[in-house]
Amino acid sequence: MKRRDFLKLMGLASSSTVLSACGVDKKAEKLIPYLVPPEDDTIPGVPVYYNTTCTECPANCGISVKVREELPVKLEGLSGHPINDGSLCIRGQASLTRLYHPDRIRSPLRRNTQGQFKPISWSDAYDQMMQTLGQGGQHLYLAGRTTGTLSELIDGFCDERNIERLPEFESYSYAAIKEANRLLFNQSVIPHYRIEDADFMLTLGADILETFVSPVSHATQLARAKKLGQFLWYHAEPHVSLTGLQATERLVIQPGSETHLLRFLLRYLLEHVDYARRLPDAVARAIPNVSGEEVSAQTGIPSEELNQLARQFAEAEKPLLIAGGISTGHTSGLEVAALAGLIQWMMRMTDIVVDFSRAENDANVGTMLDMGELSQRLQEGNVGVLFISRANPMPNVPASYGFKENLRKARLRVGLSDFLDDTMQACDIVLPLSHTLESWGDTQSRKGLRTVIQPALEPIFDTRTEGDILLQLMQRRTGNTGVQTFREYLFTRWREKYGEDSIESLLHKGYFEDSPSGEFVRLSGTAAAELLTTASDPVDFGKPLLIAIPSLRTFDGRSRVLPLLSEIPDPLTTISYGDWVSVSEQDLRSNQWQDLDEIELTIPGGSIRLPVKTQPGLPGGISTIHWDMLKPLMLQVDPRTGESICYMDGVQMVSRGVSVPIPYLSGSSSQEGRGIIPDMERGDEDHDRGGPGMYPEHEHTDYRWAMVIDLESCIGCSACVAACYIENNVAVVGPEEHLKGREMSWIRMEPYYEEDGSAEFLPMMCQHCYNAPCEPVCPVYATYHNPEGLNAQVYNRCVGTRYCANNCPYKVRRFNWFKHERPGPSDEIQMANPDVSIRGKGIMEKCTFCIQRIRAARDTAKDESRKIQDGEVVPACAQSCPTQAITFGNIEDKRSRVYQLAHSFRAYRVFEHLGMEPGVYYLGKSEARSQKSEVDRGHQEDSN
Amino acid sequence: MKKSVITLLLVGYFGLFFFLLLGLGYSSSRTKLAPEQPIAFSHKIHAGKLKLACTECHTSVEKSPRAGVPPVEKCMSCHKTVAVEKPEVQKIHRYWEDREPIPWSRVYSVRVRNYVYFSHKRHIKKGVDCSACHGDVKNMERIRKVSSLNMGWCVSCHRQKQAPTDCLICHK
Repeated sequence: MKRRDFLKLMGLASSSTVLSACGVDKKAEKLIPYLVPPEDDTIPGVPVYYNTTCTECPANCGISVKVREELPVKLEGLSGHPINDGSLCIRGQASLTRLYHPDRIRSPLRRNTQGQFKPISWSDAYDQMMQTLGQGGQHLYLAGRTTGTLSELIDGFCDERNIERLPEFESYSYAAIKEANRLLFNQSVIPHYRIEDADFMLTLGADILETFVSPVSHATQLARAKKLGQFLWYHAEPHVSLTGLQATERLVIQPGSETHLLRFLLRYLLEHVDYARRLPDAVARAIPNVSGEEVSAQTGIPSEELNQLARQFAEAEKPLLIAGGISTGHTSGLEVAALAGLIQWMMRMTDIVVDFSRAENDANVGTMLDMGELSQRLQEGNVGVLFISRANPMPNVPASYGFKENLRKARLRVGLSDFLDDTMQACDIVLPLSHTLESWGDTQSRKGLRTVIQPALEPIFDTRTEGDILLQLMQRRTGNTGVQTFREYLFTRWREKYGEDSIESLLHKGYFEDSPSGEFVRLSGTAAAELLTTASDPVDFGKPLLIAIPSLRTFDGRSRVLPLLSEIPDPLTTISYGDWVSVSEQDLRSNQWQDLDEIELTIPGGSIRLPVKTQPGLPGGISTIHWDMLKPLMLQVDPRTGESICYMDGVQMVSRGVSVPIPYLSGSSSQEGRGIIPDMERGDEDHDRGGPGMYPEHEHTDYRWAMVIDLESCIGCSACVAACYIENNVAVVGPEEHLKGREMSWIRMEPYYEEDGSAEFLPMMCQHCYNAPCEPVCPVYATYHNPEGLNAQVYNRCVGTRYCANNCPYKVRRFNWFKHERPGPSDEIQMANPDVSIRGKGIMEKCTFCIQRIRAARDTAKDESRKIQDGEVVPACAQSCPTQAITFGNIEDKRSRVYQLAHSFRAYRVFEHLGMEPGVYYLGKSEARSQKSEVDRGHQEDSN
Repeated sequence: MKKSVITLLLVGYFGLFFFLLLGLGYSSSRTKLAPEQPIAFSHKIHAGKLKLACTECHTSVEKSPRAGVPPVEKCMSCHKTVAVEKPEVQKIHRYWEDREPIPWSRVYSVRVRNYVYFSHKRHIKKGVDCSACHGDVKNMERIRKVSSLNMGWCVSCHRQKQAPTDCLICHK
């Protein structure tokens, strides 16, 4: 090209640029002040925090809601809270997206004659309900688990209107444990497991770190127990779970053979433990005498391991046994729970570690049998109004109960919910419930603990709280015009209980805890003996066997509506979107399947088509499926307890010869010998720091930010990932983009499996290298090493060459291929952290070490004319971590925790031999080394 | 001949854009630099003549990244009784009675805030006078934008005052 042609072209290009610039957004920018300033001294631009309660699952963790300009932007665990002490799980983090979900029900709905929902006014909805309530028939009230003042109000409402309140519906009802505790101790509850007070723990099947009762409570306690010193944890399960992989020893047990193991342990402990309580003679006689070899054959656990387990159990000072989850999800579940209860009582666990004085408040929760009864009553046709509140039984109740068909026979079905789920679709009137962050209320998930629910914003849509709806219905009948709100009702109750003066501190603190009653449970000897003598034979499952397991991401399916939880991959398989069946490597090979082959899975109840994915460590003949991926046709219930059956044998799996494209984000389940998590015991870690660099050295003046991640503590729960997504406005991009490898997560959970089926989890984010390979390749200096040791990414400079991402060995840089829509309730209301920019198309982004939090800490420090103190900056990932595996701080400061941990024995950096000197240190897993490093750390702490 | 036609065309072409740019700049200086406000609030009277301190109305300027716009209630605290006969003051009364906030037009674009963290508090606490960026507000009848808010403008002052110039001090 001639020079002049080039100039001409350039001229054309420049003028068209000017032309296009004429079309800049001319929308007037408005500055809208308050009419009246808010009462609570809110300063625009400064966050306000409200303490309230998470209701995403029945555990009811305490949360602190960060509110900016009247919109909640982040949920964090409430520090010091008796349940979760500052941490929050993946679902709790994601529950904020429920508030802003565009599909929430926005007004009351009424089904018209064509079967479609049409919006109606609240008073019309009330009128129609009142009319049917005035007619004959038995009115029923079915709710999800309800505690606290709302439960009292429902009782009042039901009494007044002559409505029968049904046992509450929860898919995970823990029916077998509750039934066993009722028989043994006359208490139909789940006790509080004090893991932190134990030095030995045996868990059978219970996924204590995922969904079981109160997972965040368990994880925080586990971390504390480990820090206190020697803590041995055995976990026995027939499959592979996230929880099991964290145990000190994971025992693979034959499905359904837990009874054998517990009988053996009971017998052994009876003979070997001095301090054991004497069992009543009738009970002692009823315990069958079993030999180790026999039990070893029955359970599939090698004799030595069995004996070692029994010995260590007997030697432990404060042992803890938890049986639950899938170990009670079969027809001998009651025996498993009862034998565990017996051991708990005999070993004096019920005095401390199995705490009935702080038991879960779930006595009102019914079982699947209650749903069967309800279905029966509906069929008889005498049901007037059926209220269904905060419960979605339809997909979780066995199809054999005919619940779906019989539901139509109620004269009027009134649903209270925030989403049009399967059950709501079958209702006549749907009343939209406010999100917890828009509501007043309280909960008492645990005995002696009342947690406050207070609103952080006005309802976004035309929604109301259940309490207000019930009060308004009651007032409509009495014609009482002095409208009492649920808030007033609640405050009256609180005043009665705690006195006027405590209200303010209750709201400020967010919870109130009684001192424990100190009552211990007593064993009913006759019941125990009867249980043992009439015990049915342990089940013997044939193979292939399908095991339905609870999902970390969706619980029983209730959190499935939140797209963020599909965006974050399942930590075991790294599958993000879609349903699948996990199969063993052995089965995959013997059937000549490949990952993601579609399988027709048939069990006696029904069939389902799903892709398969290998799950390393899974024994041959066993497949697992998440509970919410099952169809109601396949569900079964133990008729003795009402517990759902998790095991389905007689499975047929036939390949359909096609592959289903669902995204899984890890290329390999193993480290492929790359030493990402080095085996420290073998000492093969590579401490070669590389040669001198060709660039000038960086100078760090006051701060050099660094992070230490303790892999010993990390449980792979992915709470950090969810926290990061929300804190940093990371885009949710959907399955199509995931299939192209274009996920946007700034931090990811990498599972690495070993040959023996064990696995380690490694959270990977930008490593903030000293010699970052991304920096020199950027043609526009958009990425550089800043004076505080951060690998900075300046979005305004970035032109999207993607050289940096190419050159990053950790693959942590994410490119915006599109402008990602952020669906929200309206144009004005969007979920976004205003302290972090929303990246546009063509921009590279990555972890910033939560620069906005560093900035906020610096602001406070400058106000007080001091330096940022150690522990003052807590990135979102570290904040949410239930086991406090992540430490962040200034590595220039030799007294900082991060300096000490980074210089401890276990510290290493990923790909250290490449000489990039990352700012993220990992503490490797190694018992021998870890003990040494604890001592090491202890010395360092002493010397300070 | 042919050459001069081409030159003329080229000059005309670029000249057109030159004038276009000029016109654009002129119109934007009128509409954008000093946008018309729903109420002709005079800083000249309030800040100049009455000598009210800036913090009297912009209360959060020392406490928050944002200076804050006064709530309508604040206007009413004086204008319930003061100058009630003036048509502009009566406008406030109408907003107050309708329970509507006043839709002020922004003078300094909000778009900068999407990319950059700026704290009024930090600048005020360092002793930067409001007028350093906002100009002689005391003599402005209608508020006019006096600083470009582009990066060069920020950085030149940061250099002068030896304030930090690392990208991450501002870019978010």
